[in-house]
Amino acid sequence: MSRHNLTRRGFLKLAGATGVAASAGITGIPSPLKAAQSNDAKSEMFLHYDRGVQSPSFCEMCFWNCGLNVYTRNGRIHKLEGNPLNPNSNGHLCAKGNSGIDSTYDADRIQHPLIRVGKRGEGKFKKVSWEEASQYVFDKLSPLMKKYGPETLATFMHGTGEPYVHALTKALGSPNIVVPAYSQCLGSREMAWILTFGTGVSGHETYDMANTRHMILFGRNMAGALQVREAEDFAEGLARGAKLTYVDPRLSESCVNATDWLQINPGTDLALALGFIHVIIRDNLVNMDFVSKYCYGFDQLSAHVAQYTPDWASNKCGIDAKTIERIAWDFAKYAPHVVAVPPRRMTRYGNDTQTVRAIAILNALMGNWGVPGGLWVRSGVPIDLPEYEEPKQPTTRRADGAGKGEKYPLAPQNLGRTNGMIEATLTQKPYPIKAWMLYGTNPLFHSSAGTNDIYKAIENLDLLIAIDTQFSDTVMYADVVFPESTYLERDDAPFVQKDKIPFIALREAAIKPIYDTKGCFDICKGIAEKFKIAHWFEHSPTQQIADLYKALSPEQAKKLKDDGVLRFEAVDPYPLASGATPTFRTATGKVQLYVPNLTDFYQEHGDDFAPMPIYKDPIMADSKDTFRLLFGKSPRHTHARTQNNWLLLELQDDNPIWIHPKDAKRLGFSDGQMVYMVNPKTGVKAEHAEKIKVTKRIKEGAVFIHHGFGHTTKAWSRGYEKGIGDNFFVSDDIDPISGAAAFNNGFVTLVKA
Amino acid sequence: MSIINKKGNKNQNLAMVIVGDRCIGCDACYAACKTDWDVLPVKEAYRTKVWDIEGEDNFGNPTIRFLPVLCNHCDNPPCVDVCPTGASFKRDEDGIVLVNSDMCIGCKACMVACPYDARYYDETKASVDKCTFCLPRLNNGLEPACVVTCVGESRNFGDLNDPDSNVAKMMKNATSITRLKEDKGTLPNVYYITINY
Repeated sequence: MSRHNLTRRGFLKLAGATGVAASAGITGIPSPLKAAQSNDAKSEMFLHYDRGVQSPSFCEMCFWNCGLNVYTRNGRIHKLEGNPLNPNSNGHLCAKGNSGIDSTYDADRIQHPLIRVGKRGEGKFKKVSWEEASQYVFDKLSPLMKKYGPETLATFMHGTGEPYVHALTKALGSPNIVVPAYSQCLGSREMAWILTFGTGVSGHETYDMANTRHMILFGRNMAGALQVREAEDFAEGLARGAKLTYVDPRLSESCVNATDWLQINPGTDLALALGFIHVIIRDNLVNMDFVSKYCYGFDQLSAHVAQYTPDWASNKCGIDAKTIERIAWDFAKYAPHVVAVPPRRMTRYGNDTQTVRAIAILNALMGNWGVPGGLWVRSGVPIDLPEYEEPKQPTTRRADGAGKGEKYPLAPQNLGRTNGMIEATLTQKPYPIKAWMLYGTNPLFHSSAGTNDIYKAIENLDLLIAIDTQFSDTVMYADVVFPESTYLERDDAPFVQKDKIPFIALREAAIKPIYDTKGCFDICKGIAEKFKIAHWFEHSPTQQIADLYKALSPEQAKKLKDDGVLRFEAVDPYPLASGATPTFRTATGKVQLYVPNLTDFYQEHGDDFAPMPIYKDPIMADSKDTFRLLFGKSPRHTHARTQNNWLLLELQDDNPIWIHPKDAKRLGFSDGQMVYMVNPKTGVKAEHAEKIKVTKRIKEGAVFIHHGFGHTTKAWSRGYEKGIGDNFFVSDDIDPISGAAAFNNGFVTLVKA
Repeated sequence: MSIINKKGNKNQNLAMVIVGDRCIGCDACYAACKTDWDVLPVKEAYRTKVWDIEGEDNFGNPTIRFLPVLCNHCDNPPCVDVCPTGASFKRDEDGIVLVNSDMCIGCKACMVACPYDARYYDETKASVDKCTFCLPRLNNGLEPACVVTCVGESRNFGDLNDPDSNVAKMMKNATSITRLKEDKGTLPNVYYITINY
């Protein structure tokens, strides 16, 4: 039974419209009325199905980019279905993907270019032409760049149009490009993987869950924080009998088939991982064949983890020592067909890079690199793709502390730190940030630094430019708004993915834009023309698709045209299993159990930068009635973007606060009771009350809500103020190595409504 | 498997076979179904949905399970029996239970009679409506919308009378088979199984 066999379910053999009439009486005695019309006649209205015109695309309800076939009847999109040939989703779509039609037909969308006329945030705009909007940017931004230097512009971006916003910002001369996926999500995880294996996990992760025998998920909610292929692999692996150890203070959707749920104390995952490593080394369960050939620093690691006994770990993380031993033994028993999975949104407790380092080490000790059931190795697309010249990254100092010589020297300059950029805007240090350009991002609802501080930061701006499809909370504060066409209304550059099955996917507009909107390329080009830098915008997405076709063989071109996706053979996702020698792009050329390139920082900054992870206790609540705020993803919504989608709101339009029965009892709360959430540090109280969900699914001392609710944007007629948001209550702590956020050091109190 | 309804006089024995522990509760089925059939945009109207079932194990630890539900296309359908006009009917050739909206008078007796809460009233059509096993899609060679989109591949659909069908093979290899509310005597055609791959 494999889902990779595309004909698994086969074609249906159906009797068709004129079925053979069978003898009556199956359903009891037919009454005279019932005999009035034959079944055939009554069925007539159910026999027609107009599938409509099919267009190739890939989904943008989240950033996983599942393969999509868009079906249009009489110029209106009526159905989205997965493209079975796209390796990101194998023909499936989640609830979000299925609900994508509303992103286009939602009347709450931004329908034409706008310039603010009321006060900032009031939401009063006037309709302007594209020409006026671009001219406005030129008129306002030019003097700011002249006065403060081009680096006064900071750009936040997330979406398929990123390359154009990237190019525009660089061509304007600012180095301050920020991709929130780094400091709000993947930064610490990627940093740790690069330090250990020499390569990041990347957005499309390399865990071979479908073939694994035992997976340990450290707070990685595969079923709930849903990305389709991962969820498929997760379900497939479990169906084939894989064991699942799920580590989380909360019982999430992923626990549905967990062998063990370890309800860990929040912030102590590193203790548990070190405990596992201790047992594996102590009991000679290391895959020494792999470690001796390919790893660096095993002796140092052995000496280092001697202190982290199961009893010690148990004391820290709250998991019984015998359980730690049992799971470590079972995990090692199936090596190398095992995988220890770090969280995706690893912006939690401020020890995140080191925690993922320990998880990476746990994998390395199993020798699971490049073997089935472990970590597969991705391949690129084996053809020469058209290349386009891009403006160079300006060498001016960044404002957000990312990059060499700065506070966060390892943070990549091409991704930047959202939290750092907001802080720089708030403090106007190290230099004035006077303009923001937002592309598809909503810093008010996505960021640390505390939402109140972001409001203050926005007050320091002389210009706020927004490019978006919808009026997010932050777009409401913009001075000029460029409405983007949705992913169903525009061509986009070919989507190229390095993978186990590397592929190229097409996105062609299924319909013409229904409002006065443009693709991000044309928006950026329009602004660039004003600044006389439009020569960076000569290759439109439509042109890029045409260029790609020219680079393909006739057979490949036909396949891409017919299927909307072109798949390639990987070099070998399992090189170690095939007997090849794996290579690692680390400083030592080996898998680094010990990271020598951290030693300088270690001497300078201490334990946080230790070449092997040193455990530090998490920040704790100062009273037992102050709860750690944990938040996570709902499978029914994407970030803070989809809470105005009518269909997804049907599936979830509230955000109850999960609290343990013992905590609820002590506070005198009952299930369903309305309470206000309060941030004791800032004194901020939630705008509206939310109901309590009393459940053992959350650890005592913590509360849980889903991310993305509580919107303040009145332009969202359905999503406005639905549920409460986490953004007023998360912490602004920072992981010292990656510089990414540490949201889960936020604490709240609850007050009866 | 003796649990499979005997269908000697039907050409086809269409059934949904749900591998219970592959459902991850993502609700993709709900959204795929509602968009394909323009089901009313209100929570109360749906043709399929997934119940989140929270419970406790023997040690008092919390548990979570997901239960996808839809019309069972029963072989002994109470909804058809109570329908005064014959609008609710069961197709002889494949067992699909349908509502002919032209004949429905909106008395809602079927909604009361259905033990599975599988029907809703559509004011815009002035008719009760429900899951059709996606008959319009089936008739055009496509699988039901919920099956096509199912992320965990929990849902499977086909003809149990055809021994070569995927669902017939799955039923043969199932380690357990259950149906909802068997005691009602409805003889459902939605099966919940566990299976060793």
